[in-house]
Amino acid sequence: MEIEVILAICMFLVAIGALLAGYPVAFTLGGVALIFAIIGISLDVMSVNDLKNLPSRIDGVMRNSVLVAVPFFVIMGVVLERSRVAEDLLGIASRLLGQIRGGLGYAVVLVGALLAASTGIVGATVITMTLIALPTMLKQGYDPKLATGIIASSGTLGQIIPPSIVLILLADAIANASAQASNSLGGRAVSISVQDLFSGALIPGLLLVGLYLCWIAFNALTKPERCPPADISDLPPLTARQVIMGLGAPLALIFAVLGSILLGITPPTEAAAIGAGGAVLLAGFRLSEGQQTRLRPLLFIGLASALLLLVLNANFELSVKLPTLTSVDKAAQLLAFVLVIGLLAGLGAGLFILRSARHLKSAFMSASHITSMVFVILIGASLFSLVFTGGFRGNEMIEGVLTAMPGGVWGALAITMLVMFVLGFFLDFIEIIFIIVPLVAPPLIVLGVDPIWLAILMALNLQTSFLTPPFGFALFYLRGAAPDSVQTLDIWRGALPFIGLQIVMIIAVAAIPALATWLPGLGAG
Amino acid sequence: MSEFFLNLGLGLRWIGIGALPLLLLPLLTLAIPSKLARPAHWLRAKLDVISSAALGISMSLAIFMVAVQLLVIIGRYMFDWSASWANDLITYSFAGMFLLAAGSALKHDAHVRVDILREKMSAKRRATVDLAGLYLFLFPICLLIVWSSITPSFVRSWANFEGSVESDGLQLTYVFKTLVPLFGVLLTLQGLSEALRAALILRGESNTQDAPKSAAEASNGN
Repeated sequence: MEIEVILAICMFLVAIGALLAGYPVAFTLGGVALIFAIIGISLDVMSVNDLKNLPSRIDGVMRNSVLVAVPFFVIMGVVLERSRVAEDLLGIASRLLGQIRGGLGYAVVLVGALLAASTGIVGATVITMTLIALPTMLKQGYDPKLATGIIASSGTLGQIIPPSIVLILLADAIANASAQASNSLGGRAVSISVQDLFSGALIPGLLLVGLYLCWIAFNALTKPERCPPADISDLPPLTARQVIMGLGAPLALIFAVLGSILLGITPPTEAAAIGAGGAVLLAGFRLSEGQQTRLRPLLFIGLASALLLLVLNANFELSVKLPTLTSVDKAAQLLAFVLVIGLLAGLGAGLFILRSARHLKSAFMSASHITSMVFVILIGASLFSLVFTGGFRGNEMIEGVLTAMPGGVWGALAITMLVMFVLGFFLDFIEIIFIIVPLVAPPLIVLGVDPIWLAILMALNLQTSFLTPPFGFALFYLRGAAPDSVQTLDIWRGALPFIGLQIVMIIAVAAIPALATWLPGLGAG
Repeated sequence: MSEFFLNLGLGLRWIGIGALPLLLLPLLTLAIPSKLARPAHWLRAKLDVISSAALGISMSLAIFMVAVQLLVIIGRYMFDWSASWANDLITYSFAGMFLLAAGSALKHDAHVRVDILREKMSAKRRATVDLAGLYLFLFPICLLIVWSSITPSFVRSWANFEGSVESDGLQLTYVFKTLVPLFGVLLTLQGLSEALRAALILRGESNTQDAPKSAAEASNGN
């Protein structure tokens, strides 16, 4: 065996071992790579110049206009979470559905699918869901197995339901892989966008939600004592206002953002920024409710300005480039300028309300930290791949293994999925996207695997891995956040039926690729 | 003008090289904790101020970025207006946001760890892992980033005050390029602070309640 190959294999194994020690993933990956680079350079199998490419890799991340969507979605997520809009959403959904058997379970699945999207860190999502939903479910008399299974599975569900930041990162990785494959195929591969992946994930994601809901309904029918309805006779009924503000407004925001991406009205980055702005307004409304503040009218002005701007845009010519505008259009243009100021005032008021509620700093601190964490992992993984691929040509080795697998494409795909499933026990989605996808996706695409279908299969596979005892991420975090009265074994047994549903979904997507590729194909055609 | 900045850069380089032995301070603290505990605490406080200041800039950039992006959207879809400098502002803010917050994220333990085993470790065991990680992984990476980003082309960029290639772009490309070495330096400084903290914990001299948070708390806090 060549020395490069041995070094590449050792580097991979040492990295996995070092990660288990618990030092931050980003630096462990980069640091192990650097140590092996020094060994490689001293053995003369790689050159120092390979390492000098690191700044240009970092520069590539800094200039990547698709990845800008990540901080926008993160801001949207943390603002909605800190201002308790997310909590209200679950509270109201469970009040509406709680009176039927299994209703609270349905509410958790639906809200989890919508909310988890914006963080992308399995651990954080599952912990939040556990803290918000589990006590209520147990108090209402839910079987701990069913309750924890629902929470763990819906916490991971958000990862594959758009708009999720892991899908954005996966889209970027798959797009690069596809471009690489296209080179070796002589330009025959397709280019992939975030929008493609979002629309590809939509049908499998919604089907999974459906499967989860069916499982809860099945429980409600056959074992009603597992998920009893809530007794809410002593609570005042929900007002229409509460439902509209607590449920309607956040849903409208999420659907507006998702819809404009899926329909191709705006690129993901712009939709995400609108989502972030909308979240600030919504948080302002939520936090100023029932308070006498002079800022609240400004929020209404901001919202009204945004809506009026849309009306003006639809009915008048507002272009600043055209020299000849009719006087009516000019007046509309002037009004539009005033409305832009009104919108900014509304956003400013939202920020001020967040500040006086002492959430501004903590929300944006989280946003900065999460964004930094994601991209520092990307930088660490870049260093890893500079050494693994650039220095030791490890990608050729992996390509060789994949193409030599018995069973052709299916064999290569199966071994990839198996490895990812196992890695999912100790690496989060983000790390796997940054390290594994660039290595395995190009050869698989060259072998003829559809990039979108591949990405969706990977996402489903990892989501299942996070649910699988004893190492599954989601279960691990759920254990940490759940009260001690819940048995660990119950958590594991509760996850099993959902793993079954996941496997059904993976087999379905594997057998019928159209589930993932049909919707993106519509846009392309 | 460019002469001044080149000399400043040269000066900073020697200051940086001269300050490198400071990275040994945590190890010395480990060896003679009685003498160095007090200066170590003092230095940590100063370093944490730097990271917090960088975080403040990062958070401001995050808010600024949302506002600029919204204005760009309105400009493009309604007023048929677009400008490269506005898009550059978003790009620069995005880069500044994640690069400048990296040190603070280290301070607040926001960089994701594999915490299956860490959960069960004692505070001292965790401090040992952190110390090893800092010296084996973080410091070498930061040195590589600073060393490899300050190239002749980087110096030329400052000498000419390199601007955007677009005529209506932001003429601050040299500042943008400086973010990369700055990221390395900020991360090194916070790394030094973390190494001191780990050394003080190992020697039982940590008088502050800043032991690493448990996995659940850390993830929840983010």
